Amino acid sequence: MNKKTIGFAAVPVLITLFASLFASSHPDALERVAINFGFDEKAKETSSLFTDYAFPFVSGGFLSAFLAGIAGLILLYILYQAAGFAVKCFVK
Amino acid sequence: MHIPDGFLNNGLAGGLLAGALGMLAFSFSKVLSALTVFSGKLTGNSGNVSFSGSFPGLSSDAGKYFAKLAIIAIWVFASQTFNITVASATSVHLIGGVFAAVLAGPFAGFLIISSVLIVQSAFFADGGFLALGANIFNMAFIGSFLSYYVYKAVLKKNYYIAVAAACFFSVLTAALFCLFELGISGSVSFAQAFKDMMSLHFLFAVVETAITLFLLKLFKLLEI
Repeated sequence: MNKKTIGFAAVPVLITLFASLFASSHPDALERVAINFGFDEKAKETSSLFTDYAFPFVSGGFLSAFLAGIAGLILLYILYQAAGFAVKCFVK
Repeated sequence: MHIPDGFLNNGLAGGLLAGALGMLAFSFSKVLSALTVFSGKLTGNSGNVSFSGSFPGLSSDAGKYFAKLAIIAIWVFASQTFNITVASATSVHLIGGVFAAVLAGPFAGFLIISSVLIVQSAFFADGGFLALGANIFNMAFIGSFLSYYVYKAVLKKNYYIAVAAACFFSVLTAALFCLFELGISGSVSFAQAFKDMMSLHFLFAVVETAITLFLLKLFKLLEI
């Protein structure tokens, strides 16, 4: 495996895999403060394609979270490829 | 510490959103001009010395440089999905501001964290749309852009202390400003929530330091 594959795929996919298996589902530090001080109800529920890191049409915690994480990695990859391509045209 | 919609009042959220957009444009133009000067197409090679400091890993090939930024962004995104329990029924996950800033410099670091926040907000409903400006201000501007200068200042002494100082600065200052914004919006009393917020984020800073040092080590080992 060359460095590029390790950087782009191996490490992030491994982290996503571990995250989908072992990540804590407790509220995070800000949500904890919100719950303790009773303003967590103020949060507006928004929904999106992968709301709460769950892949649509896939039920079951692990696979759904894993696929959603991978989808996020691919989205970022596309974003930077597009930006890199645009900048390449600009710099030339 | 992604703020959802509804915690902040519209005026504050809108103002911070406008500021974030301005800072995004400024950082992007900085990166563009560094690339242009570095590749020697504008003013020859005279600008290289001044640019190399704030833009580590700058390459004359724009595609290659953005590929490197993409790897950093993808690592940050992947690490942000990994929540770790720290206190009773409370979890934290990496912000990654210091990680991005050490590897890419303040301007590219700001862009990386912002891009991650934008993808999270748009596709994962993690952090609100209107609150995106506040999230970019807290995590990308304070967490990445400003903490780069803390890292830089302490780096003369020791690399590990520099990363730790930058991580503590980034998490604690971001938490403080987050609480400021909540206080101004009338969601919570600043004085009452201060102790809870800062003590939880102190633990957060410890986790952030450990993970950042590990990821930086891994990144350098792989020589990407």
